[in-house]
This record gives sequence, C-alpha cells and structure tokens, in this order.
Amino acid sequence: MPVWHERTRQWVEAGRLHLVGVTQEQHPERCQLFAQWRQFDWPILHDPINVLATTAVPIFVALDEHGVVRMIGPRADRFEEDFINRTFDPPDVTADALPAPLTISTGEDIASLQQTAEEKNTAIAWRRYADGLALWQTSDIDRAIDAYTRALELSPDDGAARFRLGVCYRLRHDGTNRQPGDFQEAVDAWSAALALDPNQYIWRRRIQQYGPRLDKPYPFYDWVARAQDEIRERGEEPIALAVEPYGAELAAPSRTFIDESLDEVPPASDGRIARDTQQHVRAEVAVVPARVPAGQSVRVHVTFFPSESGAASWHNESEPLRLWVETPNGWQRHAAEQPLEIESSETRRLDFEVQIPADTQSSLRLNAYALYWTCREADGVCAYLRQDLPIEIRVSE
Amino acid sequence: MRILLATMTLAFAAPALPARGDVYRPTVGQPHPDFVLPAIDDRRPVALSSFRGRKVLLVHFASW
Repeated sequence: MPVWHERTRQWVEAGRLHLVGVTQEQHPERCQLFAQWRQFDWPILHDPINVLATTAVPIFVALDEHGVVRMIGPRADRFEEDFINRTFDPPDVTADALPAPLTISTGEDIASLQQTAEEKNTAIAWRRYADGLALWQTSDIDRAIDAYTRALELSPDDGAARFRLGVCYRLRHDGTNRQPGDFQEAVDAWSAALALDPNQYIWRRRIQQYGPRLDKPYPFYDWVARAQDEIRERGEEPIALAVEPYGAELAAPSRTFIDESLDEVPPASDGRIARDTQQHVRAEVAVVPARVPAGQSVRVHVTFFPSESGAASWHNESEPLRLWVETPNGWQRHAAEQPLEIESSETRRLDFEVQIPADTQSSLRLNAYALYWTCREADGVCAYLRQDLPIEIRVSE
Repeated sequence: MRILLATMTLAFAAPALPARGDVYRPTVGQPHPDFVLPAIDDRRPVALSSFRGRKVLLVHFASW
C-alpha cells in the first residue's frame, strides 16, 4: 500500500489521479492511525461488514473519468502510459443498463429498509435493513443484531449475514452497551460463516486476527507501537484507538507450538482466597476459533471489566492481575504478556494458547482462575480476590 | 402464475447488494457498480460516483 501511495503521489498532486481507499477492518481508527502514520491524504471508506463482498485484499482497481474499470491490479511500469496518459471514451451503455449499486443504505434509507423488512419478512430484506444499521447507525447495534438474527432464521446458510452478525457482536463488545458473551458470539458467527465458505479470506482474517499463532498468516497490528512513536516524533498526536491491540493481534505466526507455563506453581492452590462474589470485576472468555479439531490449538481471550457497576477499580500498587490455567496432562499452553498500562478502571485483556492433544475425543472444560487486587469505590477498602473462569474448549469431531 | 408473480416481486424488491454467494468482481471495460460507504474519519457518506469525471485508483486494503 505505501508503495502505491508513493508511486502515485506525483499524479495525485497534479490532479491527474485520485486515490480512494476501502478498508474492511473491524476497528476503523486503527486504519486511520495507519493512514496518519503513512501520511495518506486521500479518503478512506469503511466497510467493516464487507458489504462489497470482496474476498481478499489488497485489490487495486483503476477507474476512468466515466467510472469504467480499466485495470485491475495494474502493472506499475505500464500504469502511466496505459491509464494516466490515456483518454477514454464514455461507455456505450444507457443509464438503465448500468450495474446496480453495491450499497444504497444511508441514514435516510433505514426507516424504509425497516418497513420493507417488516412487510416482506424475507431474509434478504432483513439483511439489508441490518446492513443499513451496521453501516450508518452503529449506536443502534442491538437492532442490527436483531435484524441479522431475523435474516438468519429465514436463511441459516447465509454466510455474509453470519459474518456481519459477528462484526456487530464484536462492535457491541467494544462499546459501553456490551452484553456478557458478545466476543464469543462474534467468534462463533465468524467461524460459522467461514465454515460455509472457506475461501472467503476477509472472513478468515477476522478470525485469524484473534486466533492462535499456528493459524496466523502474519502479525496483524505489530506496527501500531512503532507508528505511534514515529507520529509523536513528528510532533503530532497519534489517532486514539478505541481498543489497543494486544496478545493475539500482535503475535507473530509460528509453525510450532511454543509451550510456556503461565506460572510453575499454582498461585492459589489451597483455594482460600476470597471469591469475587460481588463482581468487582466481570470477566468473560472467548475461545478462537469457535471449534477446533484435536491436535490443533486455540487462543483463549479473557477480558476483565472492572467496575461495570461503578463499584470497584484496580488496585495498582499491589500485585498485578494474574491468570492461572489448569491444563490436563498432555496439553500445552502459551501465555501472552500482561498489559502494562496503569490506570484505574480500564478494561484488561489477557490471552493464551492451548494445544489440544491429537487423541482428544470430545469437548472439555479447562479450569482457570484470575487473581487481582481491587478497591471498592464506596469506602476505599481494597481486597485480593479470586474469580473462577471455566473455559469450554469445543473440539470438533 | 401466482408463483411466477411472487418470484418477480421478490426480484424487483431484492436489493442491489451482491446476492448470497456473490463476490466482488469488477470487470475491465464495464462501469464499476456505485457504492456509498462511511468515511473512516468522520463517518460522512461518500459515494464512488462522486469521483465521476476524475481518474480513480480504488484501493481495497487493510493496515495489516
């Protein structure tokens, strides 16, 4: 991408070419940060639900003045001569023969899309209504989830609707309106979509972003810290990220499973540490991918939300948050590094991988627990607490 | 006839989105289908057709 940005800069500056980007990333501000870092000064559009139905990226498409496709994947050495310097005739098509638009849903259309969905009650009408909400009314993500669910009740094998439903669950997980289990719902929906069409690489990448290293094509967001540093060195403030990438999103691919213990000795094996019965911290687990054959690995994400009820915050002057996982004999695990940020009530995310032995016959449960210090907001009393976290590993047959 | 009518109604009402199983497949020599998507910075709707009259390199990409 940066190569084409540099290569086309002279034509862009001369007004002979316009670059328009489309990104399918879940978190738009990460792409914004990338654009800021690389100093892209052209519009970038956001298609998180992949409504354009691209199957892989990058794709470069050269359009002439009339909107006609002239080159796909243009050769750099022919681009100026074959495209920039050429004058193209208008297409010989009448207006009614033009291809139908790929999206038509803007904010103004949503009410009519809803009406159509309710009147016709077809899968495609519900999906369209959901698409409109997911693209243009992200504050109304509950309605998008409901509409995709309606579409899938009528057409369960619609992979696109399943993928988009997953995008909405993850979006809600990252917002203030999150519901317990949203991240796992997202992973389940993406995994179901990919099972319907294994060649859809936009869907595959969304799972791999959070998945185990054995299944990764590359690290996804390892460039973020460097980008933030270099932007600051230029005297600019980096675009703020809604969710800092962590663990799986930074991890490099690996061809072999690297076995590491989280701790050699269980930190609370006698079970005497008080349980967090008042939910000072709500923790939720997501296993990626949703199902895995025996012999392969999964990435387990544990997200900790302190003080969702305003009751407690992290006590940072004591021991850090710790996670202990009891793996059965023959299992291997690898732990990601703990986050270092020191604040008071931030969401914390830990993830690790386990490899499932090849002779595993059925799904099973791992026992895990977290240990942490929190302080109650009401009276400032701090306590060291334990939360048990059963983790279901679904092994496919 | 009733079935045919129902099918036709559905066809007219069906959206212009890629249908199930369809994929993005621009064709050299053919007009690119229009689309409207939100800009990543301020979420304003941007139509591909708003660039008509200018040469465009449309880049589908991800930061990773």
